[in-house]
Amino acid sequence: MSDPISPVFTVIFICLTINIGMSLYGIFVRPSLVKKFIALTIFSDTLNCFAVAIGFRRVLDTYPSVAVLATLPESPEQLSQLASAAVDPLPQALVLTAVVIGLAVYMFLTGLIIMYYRYYRTTRVDVVRGGKFG
Amino acid sequence: MKVQEVVIAVSVAAMALLLAYAVEIGGLGPIAPHRIRDLAVAYLINTYNPWNITLSSLSLEAVTAIVWDYRGIDTFFETSVLFVAIVGVTSLLRGFSEKTGLGGAGLSEIVKTSTRILAPLILVAGIAIALHGHLTPGGGFQGGSFIAVLFILLSVAFSLDYAVKLGVSSRKLLALRSSGLIGILATSLALLVAGLLLGVNSYIFQNMAREGAPLSMPSWLLDRPTGGTLLWFNTFEALAVAAGISLAFLVLSLREEEMKEALGQGEWYE
Repeated sequence: MSDPISPVFTVIFICLTINIGMSLYGIFVRPSLVKKFIALTIFSDTLNCFAVAIGFRRVLDTYPSVAVLATLPESPEQLSQLASAAVDPLPQALVLTAVVIGLAVYMFLTGLIIMYYRYYRTTRVDVVRGGKFG
Repeated sequence: MKVQEVVIAVSVAAMALLLAYAVEIGGLGPIAPHRIRDLAVAYLINTYNPWNITLSSLSLEAVTAIVWDYRGIDTFFETSVLFVAIVGVTSLLRGFSEKTGLGGAGLSEIVKTSTRILAPLILVAGIAIALHGHLTPGGGFQGGSFIAVLFILLSVAFSLDYAVKLGVSSRKLLALRSSGLIGILATSLALLVAGLLLGVNSYIFQNMAREGAPLSMPSWLLDRPTGGTLLWFNTFEALAVAAGISLAFLVLSLREEEMKEALGQGEWYE
């Protein structure tokens, strides 16, 4: 590995995969619904990080600074120069959509967990016996 | 710890390590290539392109342009999903009422004082994030969530009673939320109606002039580019999201005694 960027990405990817493993463990094994819920949010955030990472690129160091339009562009050449250095915006937009829908789902799940707690007096799924649905 | 849990933990760790090894040797393809896809290049070049206005959205921020212009209908339904979730939460926890005098005086004086200092800053930052959505990273959803934090902070630091006494109620928040959605709908139909009145072609969710549809939203406000519809979409989305998340928090944070009192004692979830 000659270039300095690849090890950084490798570390990030390893951390994300470990994150996925831990959150799946939390979803499947932990008995408490609250902990399952927290693990679910970690899982979806990790997947969103993966989706954003798809759009990344290794920028050649010919571009002078961070690839943003700091001022209004004066010529079409400036736009093609931007496009030669900026990352892919489409995964970020899709992740934004996923985050909003995830927030909606989490809000509903929170309501369901609160109802579960009020009915059964616990958030654990493994100790409930003899309830209405038990 | 049971054997079963050890097996699960070990296999999950093995999966993570194997995947990481596959990434390390490049078995899943190159990470972060030098080139990006042609679609991304097209978005980057056309997002702010006054020389080719029939493909452009005249917004300086590509993500907002994609979210509200190129994939506008997608985002409209995404906002509807959020609305439906809030309706679901309010109907799931139905029977609540905003009662005061149930105790709870909030947190200590130190927290209250620092919240008093922070509150206007949070409001201003949220509005700035929302209104500059087409210029800088951010947008309606982010700004709206930011503003909703203000309500959550107030109701935690000063107690829910205080927020209710300030005049916050679920009906008002639902009305704000609905007016935000109506604003989004009106913005998306604005050019269609204008086109019908002027007798020219126009599309739903149209922002800039397209081929065969010559109408454009005004893209300059004083000395700032507005990105056409994007400024209005961001404003209304911020309103809708701020009211919606506040409403969901208000409903979810209602205390059990309140529910019992509202629904009467006994079998209140049968």
